[in-house]
Amino acid sequence: MRLSSLLIKELIQFFRDRVMLLLILWLYTVEVVICAYALGLDLRHLPLAVLDHDRSAHSRLLVDALTSGEAFSLTGYPQDMRQAERWLQDGRTRAVLVIPRDFAEVLIRDETPTLQLLLDGSDANTAATARNYILRGLSSLQAGAGPQPSPAIRPVIRIWYNPDLTYTRFMVLSMIALAALMVGVIHPAATIVREKELGTLEQLQVTPVRISELFVAKTVPTLVMGTLSVFPSLLIVRWFDVPLRGSLTLFVLLTALFLLSAIAIGVLVAAVCRTLQQALLLAFFGLFPMMFLSGTLAPIASMPAILQQLSLLSPLRYYMDVILGIFLKGNGIADLWPQALALAGIGTLLFAIAAAVFRHQQP
Amino acid sequence: MNARRIRAVIGKETREILRDPITLGVALLMPLVMLFLFGYAISLDLRRASLGVLDEDHSPASRALIEHFSANESFHLSRSLGSVREIEQVLQRGQVDLVLVVPAGLNDSLLRREQPQVQVVVDGTYSTTALLAAGYAEALVASFGTKPSRATLRLETRVWYNPSLRSVNYIVPGLYAVILLAFPPLLTALGVVREKETGTIQCIFASPLTSSEFIFGKLVPYSLIALLQMLIVVSFGYFWFGVPFQGSFLFLLAAGLVYVLCTVGIGLLVSTLTRTQLTAMLLALIVTLMPSFLFSGLLFPIFTMPALLQLYAAIFPGVYFVEISRGIVLKGTGIDMVWFQVAVLALYTLAVFILASRRLKKKVA
Amino acid sequence: MAPQDHEDRIIKAQGLGRRFGRHEALAGIDLQVGRGEIFGILGPDGAGKTTLMQLLAAILDPTAGQCRVLGFDTLRESSQVTDRIGYMSQGFTLYDRLSVEENLAFSARIRGVSDADYRQRRQRLLQMAGLQDAVNREARVLSGGMRKKLSLCTNLIHEPELLLLDELSLGVDPVSRQELWKMLRTFRDSGMTIVLTTPYMDEAQACDRLAFLYRGRLLAVDSPAALKDRARGRVYEVVTARLEEVQEILAASPEVISGQWLADRYRFQIDNAQGISGSLRMKLEYLGAPSPAMPDLENAFVQLTAQPADRLATTVSLRSAATPAAPATAIAATDISVRFGDFSAVNQVSFRIAAGEVVGWLGPNGAGKTTLIRVLCGLQRPSAGEARIAGLPLASSSTQIKARIGYMSQRFSLYPDLSVIENLRFFAGMYGLSGQHRRDAIRWVKPLVGIDGLDGNRTQALSGALRQRLALACAIMHRPSVLFLDEPTSGVDPLARRRFWQLIQRLARSGMAILVTTHYLEEACYCHRLGLMHNSRLVALGTLAELRSALQPSDPGASVEAVFMAYITRPSAAAGVVG
Repeated sequence: MRLSSLLIKELIQFFRDRVMLLLILWLYTVEVVICAYALGLDLRHLPLAVLDHDRSAHSRLLVDALTSGEAFSLTGYPQDMRQAERWLQDGRTRAVLVIPRDFAEVLIRDETPTLQLLLDGSDANTAATARNYILRGLSSLQAGAGPQPSPAIRPVIRIWYNPDLTYTRFMVLSMIALAALMVGVIHPAATIVREKELGTLEQLQVTPVRISELFVAKTVPTLVMGTLSVFPSLLIVRWFDVPLRGSLTLFVLLTALFLLSAIAIGVLVAAVCRTLQQALLLAFFGLFPMMFLSGTLAPIASMPAILQQLSLLSPLRYYMDVILGIFLKGNGIADLWPQALALAGIGTLLFAIAAAVFRHQQP
Repeated sequence: MNARRIRAVIGKETREILRDPITLGVALLMPLVMLFLFGYAISLDLRRASLGVLDEDHSPASRALIEHFSANESFHLSRSLGSVREIEQVLQRGQVDLVLVVPAGLNDSLLRREQPQVQVVVDGTYSTTALLAAGYAEALVASFGTKPSRATLRLETRVWYNPSLRSVNYIVPGLYAVILLAFPPLLTALGVVREKETGTIQCIFASPLTSSEFIFGKLVPYSLIALLQMLIVVSFGYFWFGVPFQGSFLFLLAAGLVYVLCTVGIGLLVSTLTRTQLTAMLLALIVTLMPSFLFSGLLFPIFTMPALLQLYAAIFPGVYFVEISRGIVLKGTGIDMVWFQVAVLALYTLAVFILASRRLKKKVA
Repeated sequence: MAPQDHEDRIIKAQGLGRRFGRHEALAGIDLQVGRGEIFGILGPDGAGKTTLMQLLAAILDPTAGQCRVLGFDTLRESSQVTDRIGYMSQGFTLYDRLSVEENLAFSARIRGVSDADYRQRRQRLLQMAGLQDAVNREARVLSGGMRKKLSLCTNLIHEPELLLLDELSLGVDPVSRQELWKMLRTFRDSGMTIVLTTPYMDEAQACDRLAFLYRGRLLAVDSPAALKDRARGRVYEVVTARLEEVQEILAASPEVISGQWLADRYRFQIDNAQGISGSLRMKLEYLGAPSPAMPDLENAFVQLTAQPADRLATTVSLRSAATPAAPATAIAATDISVRFGDFSAVNQVSFRIAAGEVVGWLGPNGAGKTTLIRVLCGLQRPSAGEARIAGLPLASSSTQIKARIGYMSQRFSLYPDLSVIENLRFFAGMYGLSGQHRRDAIRWVKPLVGIDGLDGNRTQALSGALRQRLALACAIMHRPSVLFLDEPTSGVDPLARRRFWQLIQRLARSGMAILVTTHYLEEACYCHRLGLMHNSRLVALGTLAELRSALQPSDPGASVEAVFMAYITRPSAAAGVVG
């Protein structure tokens, strides 16, 4: 009876808090859509300027070939080297292709002309990509023009699970995982600390209610809502043509398991904080590294060994394996049991610590 | 404006901040945590991606190719596979990031100069990792035993400003902009809304202190904290991460000051729009924290976004300061090159302050 | 004291009004306050007291009429006004992390007080407020009384011509309250004008003139004596032990507009200036002869505002609702001590409370009252000593005890985002009531505390008085044997307070033991016995008469306040317990 009263109260409060609901919905939908559209590592429309000393039909052909696709957008033709430098300096362009005066001549003589590419390395990522694009463009030009250059072995790259290697699928799924983490941590932390501030927690302590009942009551609504809010985002997943290759049931179950470990973090934060401001700042302080070490913002394989090891502590890391695995690879529990085990382990440990802290604060 | 009154507000505010260990701790520690995470974790150099190998040839050539891979520090040979079926298995379970398949007869066809093929199967789920792994693998295979051949076009690349293309070099200067947009507004907004919630602001209202004096008094300590954050991040960037510093430090400081005033002003504006700390925090998150990471050009270049979202990004001041600080730090840019961005920031700051002091009337309702 | 000439009109309001959206908070206020007056504004929760203060302080613009303060228009010349006044808003208005000295200096500097003036005034103010020894302590560690005194000092440092004080002594213990008033009188005598709002009748009594504010309108402005005169001949009291029967008779008599159930007598007020009707007199005669009594300000207030809602609550039979057989001794505490490090919060406190007894617990802020209640509720483990609650030992059966006690804190701990009925259902559930039991409990408690018909209302939108009654309902639904009330009436207006006490008396009659802490000494009259705590010790326990007679020299007519002050200031304050 006590437990059901607690649960009913939590659910009523949850649905009454419009700002909170709006925030959760925003995170699960609008934020996912914005980020999926806006953010990607596949660069497009890279600003490229061409300093064409040759001004021949050949050079124009080359420029047309390079800028015909989506990769580059032509920012203009600087007059001379000084102007080209200036454009690089003030950020008007990121790359300058310099075509030598004798480009056409050399080409006609069947010799190899040398093109020069100036790159703004201040955004290293963009610079490296720009060079790759130009090289790729040039090699496809050559493929049409002359005999193949011959590496000893020809590599054939096959990308599985995401053949055209779009960033969108990854982005959509990782934003959903991030939303689940934020809601899972912030909501229980905020509601528990609010009860501390209001004094209702103290009021509950003079009733026969047990701390375990309180924990369950604080966990269930976030768990239910967090799990349910996955469904609207499934529509978005559809919209972006992300396939669901695995079992939906397994996905929902493992999402709940992940939420449990996130909630455990929230409860722990609430246990050590007195005011809402402290709880919010502390939750933020904890969320940030967890997000960072999950592979969502930056590939784990690029991190130094120590950070790769630290990432094993972030529940989000395991959940990323789960969500990507189920959607893109069609993984079953036979593949994902280590992740499930890790999530359960982290959740249990954190709950145990939080319970100990709460007990310690009690008389 | 009465200097004595402003001094009183500054002194009071400074003491309050210094005596609140959590706020102060978050203000000074969080930028460092961010700097270290970004500095170490974000890089496009692949380190020890786990590699599976299926060698169907078992020849000197295949062993040499595999050795060629495992000698490279980007890959780490974690598994030798026995059959094609195993490829599916290890990729499914995520036990390896990519598999190199050396077909039978590689040695022979190499001897016959036939240009044989090898297959690299990459797990595409983590797109970023996959993209890097595929590129590295392609390059490694291609460079294996290549004889120099005559190309029709030769490209000579010159990378300016960051010749080694080190990730840290471009991440850290961009981070100055992000950190200064993420924290000062939040701290400032909470600092003012707290006075609303506790009621102390009513006493301010019923005193000779004017709204602009109040705002100015709040502005100075929070801007000082923000500048301190900037100095911490800049010096750790320079001394610890070895990020070169090409331009004028004074210019960076001056531009930083304008930027800091701008971001603190945004915090003040947020505080005039909200009544409780929770809503202030949420609003600050939406208008400063999220855009500072995602729409400042730090990680995701603006030019590659759809036009509408480019406009969205232009609303936030982060993009302008990322340009300025990368320019100064890496390119040695002077005011002549970034005057536009500086001017936008200055106007932005002015607008924010006019709005904030308009919004903050000395009335309770 | 009324203003004599134009020069001396510090405040002059004409037709002043303010609306918030569709709600009219104040309307048609005409008010004049002269130089050197202490002017009080009295009224229940939501009457518009704070709104009026904010209008006078020029930090809120009027939506109707106009107001001149110190000769300046509050709308057009608001900065001229704010330059010259002191305004202390409700609640605490200090910076917690600044020290006493720093708070004071900040206040002086933003008001342009010169350093020389500051040094001189600082000394005097700190001395008057008794804060000399605390100059370097941070404001958050000060007691409620010290905080209020410091707040007052920060508003006196620039020696304003006009001082506006909203709820001056909310949550302040009687000792600090006396000191606050001493300071006010000193400054009034030097020509300062003071306008204050208060829920305390005895405080209102000390004002030169009073305004009664009710539902946004001024009912009367006059001196306290003249106001009391308006209820002359309408107040009676009956001294008897059978108060329950008196209550039933009075509730059935339409001429009675208000009643006050005190510990040993019943005081009531009729709406007829000609005196009590013969039939009522006859009905009461066999219980005790009704005798005329001196009206107080509450009576004057009732006289001016009386309407059906404020009449006596209809009697609900408590007999059917008697608590499960309560043991004769409800609370037995033996040598309870609580220490926090070196600091002793409660020091060897022993006492017994019988079933059906109402015991008031008095003492200055920080005397240890709240800590003691927390111990008895199982919220705080005692460092030493033991207690039996409802016959059960506190140390070993805290869970069973929690089902037998009710606790209501001064913060009225309710869920603001839940409706009234949802709060009731929730707390009933917490005590394991379900199904028919829960429905019965809610049906019983709603008319008892008077929250019928409010089921769907959101708790955060209720007035303080209604929240207070709802909090009480939540604490008694499970029919506890012992009820703890921690300052249950703070921040609630006088009429609501009176009604609340009526309820408490009825609960006690049904066998509930009630322990209540309060700062309102006038409420001591409602209690059967009084406990006085000071410096963590219980310095006295007994009926008011016993406490009076134990004084040296004994004074049978001493007011509660005098008795209280006498015990507190007695050099051997740790002396034995009476009664």
